[in-house]
Amino acid sequence: MNRLPVADRGTVRRALRDMISRHRRAVGVVLVLHGAAALAGLAPPWLLGTIVDRVTAGATVATVDRLALAIAGCVLASALLSRFAQYAGHRFGERAVAELREQFVTRTLGLPVSVVERAGSGDLATRSSVDVATVGTTVRDVVPTIVIATVQLTLLFGAVFLLHPLLGLAALAGLPSIVAVTRWYLRRASSAYLREGAESAELTETLTTTAEGARTVEALRLTDERVRHGTTRVTRVWQARRATLALRTVFFSVVEASYPLPVAMVLLVGGYLLSRDMVSLGAVVAAALYLQQAIEPLDRLLQWTEQAQRGFASFARVLGVGLVPPEEPPGTTAPSRGQRLVVRGARFSYAGGHDVLHGIDLEVQPGERLAVVGPSGAGKSTLARLLAGIDAPRRGVVSIGGRPVTDLDPAERRRRIALVTQEHHVFIGTVRDNLSFAAPDATDEQMRAALATVGADWYAELPDGLDTALGDGARQLGAAEAQQLALARLVLADPHTLILDEATAALDPSTARRTERALAAVLVGRTVIAIAHRLNTAHDADRVAVLADGRITEIGSHDDLVAADGAYAALWHSWHGQADER
Amino acid sequence: MRYLWWLVRRQPWRVLRGSLLGTAWMVGLSARPYLIYRAVDDGLRARDTRALALWVAAIIVAGVALSYLGIMRHRTMTFIREDAKARSAEVLLRQLSRVGATLPRRSAAGEVSTVGGSDIDWSAQVLTLTGPGVGAVVAYAVIAVVLWSISPVLALCVLLGVPAVGLVVGPLLRRLERAESVYRRQQGALTARSGDIVAGLRVLAGVGGRDLFARRYAARSQDLRAEGYRVGAVVSWIDAATVAIPGLFLAAVVWLTARMAVAGDVTIGELVAVYGYVATLIVPVWFLLEGSHQLIRGRVAARRIADLLRLGPDDVGGPGRRWPGGVPDARHPHAVAAPTGPADLHDPVTGLTVRAGRLTGVAVDDPAAAEALADRLGRYVVSDTTWGGVPLTGVALDEVRARILVADHDSYLFAGTLRDILRPGADDEQIRAALRTASAQDIVDALPDGLDTPLDAQARTLSGGQRQRVRLARALLVEPEVLILVDPTSAVDAHTEARIAERLRAARAGRTTVVLATSPLLLGRADEVAHLSAGRITATGTHADLLDQDSGYRHLVARGSDETGAGRPADAEEAYR
Repeated sequence: MNRLPVADRGTVRRALRDMISRHRRAVGVVLVLHGAAALAGLAPPWLLGTIVDRVTAGATVATVDRLALAIAGCVLASALLSRFAQYAGHRFGERAVAELREQFVTRTLGLPVSVVERAGSGDLATRSSVDVATVGTTVRDVVPTIVIATVQLTLLFGAVFLLHPLLGLAALAGLPSIVAVTRWYLRRASSAYLREGAESAELTETLTTTAEGARTVEALRLTDERVRHGTTRVTRVWQARRATLALRTVFFSVVEASYPLPVAMVLLVGGYLLSRDMVSLGAVVAAALYLQQAIEPLDRLLQWTEQAQRGFASFARVLGVGLVPPEEPPGTTAPSRGQRLVVRGARFSYAGGHDVLHGIDLEVQPGERLAVVGPSGAGKSTLARLLAGIDAPRRGVVSIGGRPVTDLDPAERRRRIALVTQEHHVFIGTVRDNLSFAAPDATDEQMRAALATVGADWYAELPDGLDTALGDGARQLGAAEAQQLALARLVLADPHTLILDEATAALDPSTARRTERALAAVLVGRTVIAIAHRLNTAHDADRVAVLADGRITEIGSHDDLVAADGAYAALWHSWHGQADER
Repeated sequence: MRYLWWLVRRQPWRVLRGSLLGTAWMVGLSARPYLIYRAVDDGLRARDTRALALWVAAIIVAGVALSYLGIMRHRTMTFIREDAKARSAEVLLRQLSRVGATLPRRSAAGEVSTVGGSDIDWSAQVLTLTGPGVGAVVAYAVIAVVLWSISPVLALCVLLGVPAVGLVVGPLLRRLERAESVYRRQQGALTARSGDIVAGLRVLAGVGGRDLFARRYAARSQDLRAEGYRVGAVVSWIDAATVAIPGLFLAAVVWLTARMAVAGDVTIGELVAVYGYVATLIVPVWFLLEGSHQLIRGRVAARRIADLLRLGPDDVGGPGRRWPGGVPDARHPHAVAAPTGPADLHDPVTGLTVRAGRLTGVAVDDPAAAEALADRLGRYVVSDTTWGGVPLTGVALDEVRARILVADHDSYLFAGTLRDILRPGADDEQIRAALRTASAQDIVDALPDGLDTPLDAQARTLSGGQRQRVRLARALLVEPEVLILVDPTSAVDAHTEARIAERLRAARAGRTTVVLATSPLLLGRADEVAHLSAGRITATGTHADLLDQDSGYRHLVARGSDETGAGRPADAEEAYR
């Protein structure tokens, strides 16, 4: 599997710089407001120091009252300023996150299907849910917290410097050990926490799937096996937790043991300075209190750094999606003439593998029905993808009306050729939402008519008609209903060529029968290439192509092939059983 | 609550150690303000260098000791929580595996996943109360005593004031949580939408409409942004209040203490210490408030776990598992012994008889009827089905499960390596044989690590036809006395199906096998075929006989086979003439 790319550090930094410079003013306002709030927050310890000095000097009650009132005023001012700072920061975060996720979705929608398939949709799904959310929390909550903490710390330490430079130097005593252990911790933390998260998600999944598959557990008597499986999961969660706990043990013991160092050093140096009358007692007390106050933002900063690091990693994965070159626009825009599908010498291999198709030659006339049959692994689905222009042949050409299909503008190509597979997806939204994207100009009347054409009689029972919400927590469609919805989309999209890749194979037989009836209505008057799963299809097609090991071994009408008495004829007879012998 | 108590009693010594460490740590938190106050009073103010050095050393030592206590407390509490989580997960898993087929009828899988995810965490979280919870109470008392020694008036103010502040701020935080929860829900819906787009990318690539989806998503995203602004306005006010209220309280305490210092009732050092105590006291008080909240949530979670544990396996009207075979007792008056060897199964509802040792095909016009029939034959429901003449419902369930296997077309594939999915512990020879019968060797060959390739739950990376063949191979590996296959090849192409039909017959030669299907390839290989129409068996015979004599059967088998639909169904029947 070729995984989707991940942005390197430089790209992430550039993206961050871009984001900040786009919102330059907002960022500036946030910083100024937070700075002002932190400054106001510095006042109380300083005022307390003043109180200490004044009381030592024998102050009156009135002075104390005034100073106490000043403390209260500063607390209020700080709270108000930080409120507006936080609000401004919040708005900035929301805007930035909204931009980011919209950009992500736009880029995802622009990804060539072949890239997504090769990378596996799981990777992209994780990026769209986990990573986008992680970046969101980072921008909305983590970054502001870190910014506030940094501003507060800068001001607190700055204040100690202002009280006396030597006190300031003493205050830095605890930093070396904290910095060292933080670096040590950050190098290991993210992967350990990710592993812990993954392990506990697996345990939850084990519980959920055991519940979902309870009938199977009973039928196959898998009870002991499930318990054994779960017990290993529990053990692995426990191991992962122990690993993160070990990291925290080292990190927090060093950090917490370092916290009192600045206070202690300031008191010692303060004592020395005091003995030479270089500072007042109040100044030393204020410095000690500032440093005591610094513990809390420092703690916050350290705790969130790991989160920020994870946000950075997620950001790199989110940006990575944008690094995939989008589906290339067509070389020329001249519309192709005619609708004849021609395949000449097409060979194809999936990345780095052996050829799956070894030189296919095929011509399909407009309005013709061609059935492609053959055993699993013969390359039928690959051929369908080449015909639909999803993959380009490694060698040879697939063209429609004389133009290679991969050269057509993707939108144009989709209007002409539609590929129907057994996958059907009901989008979250209303029935209308699920239909309109195939033909944006379709009227309600046309949509209803399309639903009627494919035999979607369940539509009549919907409470709100086209506006009925579908999907999780709303009206759930069964497999057949979903497939009918997909077919109604096709009726609206009105392509002239349809490629059916075992469109109903995943449905149970009676559902398949109903769907197939609906499908017949869609096929009238179009070119149809059906990857056939059952032989009736082949019997009724204009021509049958038998594909084996990536080559067309037989081609012709059903009767011709039966008469030729080759592999197809043998299969046909065996399928008939004794019915034929009469 | 009893469940929570059980979790505590599993680890009494650890809980005790947690309480002691929690207490020591919380009390230790108040040591630093005291030491700073002594350093200021005895050292700085008295200009006594020796005393200053002594107290400063004490601050450093206390810091190291506190960090040790803190981390040990954290470790112990983590172990306690993890022990509780592991225990909950294990009992739940045991229970889920034991309850079996009746579980889907009694509780939704979604419910189980909440229990398995957040409820386990919440109930384990409650155990934290045993450590720092006890510590918080003790620390509060210690600080109360120390403050009392400085000034009873101050002590009263602080001891009542801090909880009062907590009580004011606590509800504010709850409101904050609520405001955020709306936002989070909306955010979850938006994430679901982008996931939806990712899942439907292929459809969008096939039919078009990318721009429309991008625009729709952007509109929702803007809605969320607007909601975010609204939340931000509320949240920032609440945050400001949670900072301002304790701050103002602290200012009031300072003011009161300073006035006392002016009057000479307290020393300067004590003034500084009081300031520190008030700040320190916030920790235990917060903890108690937070703890009471956790207790409420944890109890709800524990109740949900207990409810799930109370579910019993359903005996579907007959004797259960641990019941010794064959003898009627008070609880199971209709108990009977199972037939000792292979025996015929008879279903009076439809009139179907499955002969022992033969391959029986049943063509059913309605999939729901096929499932109901399989449920009766496999004793998933109470019925009058007989097995060798005795009522199947009277036979011990364990014995039925051991001897009769119903292989549903949608049976669950658990995550694991392909080997584990097929049959844990089976040897390569058996696996190879089963894969051959199910014509599934090519699936293994295509996987990067063959049999040892890990697959997701429900093997989502495989195609429908591949999954179906894996399920078939799995059922074959069980080698049950009676194998009932429901639509085993509906998603498989005709070439492969022909091979499977041939090999299945050989692999199950001499053993009872029932195939519920409408495919002529499968039915053509059966010893005997029954046509089930409108709930009754209307005809039996060989496939050829039925094709000849039963026009309904002919119709069913022909139509059931045409699945791609590119053909004209009306003509299909003529193919047989």
